Amino acid sequence: MAQVSLKNLVKSYGALNVVHGISLDVKDREFIALVGPSGCGKSTTLRMIAGLESISGGVIEIGGKEVNDLPPRDRNISMVFQSYALYPHMSVCENMGFSLKIAKRPQAEIDQRVNEAAAILGLEALMERRPAQLSGGQRQRVAMGRAIVRDPEVFLFDEPLSNLDAKLRTQMRTEIKKLHAKVRSTVIYVTHDQVEAMTLADRIVIMRDGHIEQVGTPEEVFHRPRTRFVAGFIGSPPMNLEEAVIADGRIRLRDGASLPLPAKFTDKVTEGQKVVFGLRPDDLFPKGHGLHSGAESDIASLDLPVSITEPLGNETLVFVEFGGREWVSRMLNPTSLASGQTVTMQFDLSQAHLFSAETGLTLSE
Amino acid sequence: MLKKIPTPVLLLLPAIVVLAAVVLFPLLLSLYSSFTPFRLTKPQSLFIFFGFRNYARILANLDFWIAFGRTVVLLTIALNLEMLLGLGLALLVNKATMGKRALRTIMMFPMMFSPILVGFQFKFMFNDNVGLINNALQSLGITETAIPWLIDGNLALFSIVVAEVWSSTSVFAILILAGLLAMPQEPVEAAKVDGCTPLQTFRYVTWPFLMPFAYIAMTIRSLDVARAYDIVKIMSDGGPAGRTELLWTLVGRTAYSDAQMGLANAMAYVSILLSILFTVYFFRKLAAARASIAAEW
Repeated sequence: MAQVSLKNLVKSYGALNVVHGISLDVKDREFIALVGPSGCGKSTTLRMIAGLESISGGVIEIGGKEVNDLPPRDRNISMVFQSYALYPHMSVCENMGFSLKIAKRPQAEIDQRVNEAAAILGLEALMERRPAQLSGGQRQRVAMGRAIVRDPEVFLFDEPLSNLDAKLRTQMRTEIKKLHAKVRSTVIYVTHDQVEAMTLADRIVIMRDGHIEQVGTPEEVFHRPRTRFVAGFIGSPPMNLEEAVIADGRIRLRDGASLPLPAKFTDKVTEGQKVVFGLRPDDLFPKGHGLHSGAESDIASLDLPVSITEPLGNETLVFVEFGGREWVSRMLNPTSLASGQTVTMQFDLSQAHLFSAETGLTLSE
Repeated sequence: MLKKIPTPVLLLLPAIVVLAAVVLFPLLLSLYSSFTPFRLTKPQSLFIFFGFRNYARILANLDFWIAFGRTVVLLTIALNLEMLLGLGLALLVNKATMGKRALRTIMMFPMMFSPILVGFQFKFMFNDNVGLINNALQSLGITETAIPWLIDGNLALFSIVVAEVWSSTSVFAILILAGLLAMPQEPVEAAKVDGCTPLQTFRYVTWPFLMPFAYIAMTIRSLDVARAYDIVKIMSDGGPAGRTELLWTLVGRTAYSDAQMGLANAMAYVSILLSILFTVYFFRKLAAARASIAAEW
C-alpha cells in the first residue's frame, strides 16, 4: 500500500517561500498530476517527496510512514527526470539494472526484471546501446524502464515529456497511460501541460504560487473550476473571462454590453456585485454550429462581428468582438467566415461561470 | 627567384624561418651532438661523429637506469598522492556553501610560487637543525632526536615528494573542480533515487564524469614530474650520494659539471621517451574515459 500524504508542506529558501503549507492525500495506485505555470512550486513539491530537496516544514508520509528525514534511497520511490538523467557511461541494460545491482540482487533476477521492463517498453533491440546512441523518445523509455525495474511503491515523474517533439509527446503520453494500467503503482506526475494532466490523471492538482488552487478529477476541474485561475488554466483554448457587474438582474460587461443572468445564479449574487463572467469557447458558437447542453431559455443570441478565424479542419476557432474585447468561440461543422462579417452568436448560459471579482472564488456553489 | 615561390608559401616563409632558427635547428643540432663525443671544454669534438657510442654507454650505465627508475617512482607516488589530495580538495571546495570563489583562489596559491622558492622553503622546513618540522616534532614530544630529513637517502626523496605534492596538488584540484562544476546534476540525483549511498554515487556516477579531467591533469603533471629539476636541484642537488638523482638532474650534471654535452644530449633523448610514453598512455586513457561518458567536448 502506498498512499502519499502531504501535511502542511512548506519549502522556503531563506526568506523566500516557494511552497506555502500544502496538504494533499494521494490514494494507493492513484495517478495524480501536479499542474501549474512555471514557478508554481510543483517540481519543488515533487522533489521534496523524492527526498532530493529538504523539507522546511510539514510532514510527508509514504505508505503511512513519515519520510521527512529519510534519504531518497530509503523511500521506495522511482523518479523519471525531465532530462532523462541516464548514466552516460552505461549501456541501456546497465542503466536499467543499476538500482538492482546496487541493491545486490542476484544477476539472474536482475536479468529477468530488466528483460521484463524492456519487453513492456519495446527496448529489447537497444539493450547494448549507450544513451548517446539513442533518440529522445528512446532515452525517455529507458528512463521509464529504469524506474519500472525498481518496482517501487511510488513513481514520480518530473515533466517527463517536455523535451520531446509534439508527435512523440502524444505517443509517449499514451504509453505512460498504458504503463500505469499495467504496473498499478501510485504515480505523481508533474507537468505544465494541462492536456497531459487531463488525459493521464485520475485527479489533478492545480497549483499556483506555492498554493493548491483545486484538487479534482479532470471532469471536476474542467466543468466546476473552483477559482478563476483554474478556469483560465484548464481547457484549450482557454475560457473567456471578463470582468462584469450585476445590474438590473443582468450581467453588465464593458461598453454597455450585457447578458442575461442565468437562472442558477439568481440567488447567488446581489445587485451591484463585481464578478468575473466566464464562458468556455465550446459554449459560445455561431448559430447552428454548436451543441446546446441547456434549455432553450438559457441561450442568448447576439449578432456580433467576426475579427479573425483559425480553421482547424474539423472545427474552426472564431474570434468575435463583444463588450470591447475578443471572445473565442468554437464552431463545429465549420463554414467559411470572412473577417468583419456579422454572425449570430449563441451564448449557452447554462454553462456559464461566475467568480467573485475580489476573491476569485466561484459563485456557482 | 622569389617569383617562382607560390604566394602562400612566401607569406609563411618568415614564420618558417624563425621557427627553423629557434626550434628546428637547436633540436637537430642537439640530436646530432648526441652522436658525437662533444665536450664543452673541447669544441672541436663536436665534429667527430662516432655513431651510437653515447647511447651504448647509457644503456650500460647503471646510474642512468637508477635515476630513470627513481624518476618513474617519484612520478608514480607524486601523481597518485596529488590526484587523491586534489580530488579531496575539489570535493570539499565544491561542497562549500559560501566563499567558493575565495577558496578556489586560495587553492591556487601554491601554483603562484616559483618552484625554486618552493625548493628553498622546503629545504628550510626540512632542515635537520633549524627546520620547522623537526622543531615542531620535538616540541610536541613526538620525537626525541632530530630527523635527518635531507641527509638520509630515503627521507630526502620523501621530502622532495612532499614539496612536489604541496606545489602541484592544485593542478589536480582545479581541473577536477572544473569537472565537478561542469557535470550535470540529474544523473547524481537519479543515482540517489536508485538507492546509492553517497559513496556509491561517487564511485558509479561522479567518478566516471571526473575521470577525463583527472587524466588531463595526469598528462600535464606527468610531463612536469618527468622533467623535475628545480625543486630537487635546490633541496638536495641529487644527494645525498646520488640518492635523489633524477633523470634531469643527472642530465644537467653530465652536461655542465662534467661538460659531456654529447652524452648529456643522448640521455635527454632517452628521457624524452619516458615523457612520450606517459603522454601517450594518459591520452589513451583520456580518450577512453571521454568516450565512456559520451563527452561532447
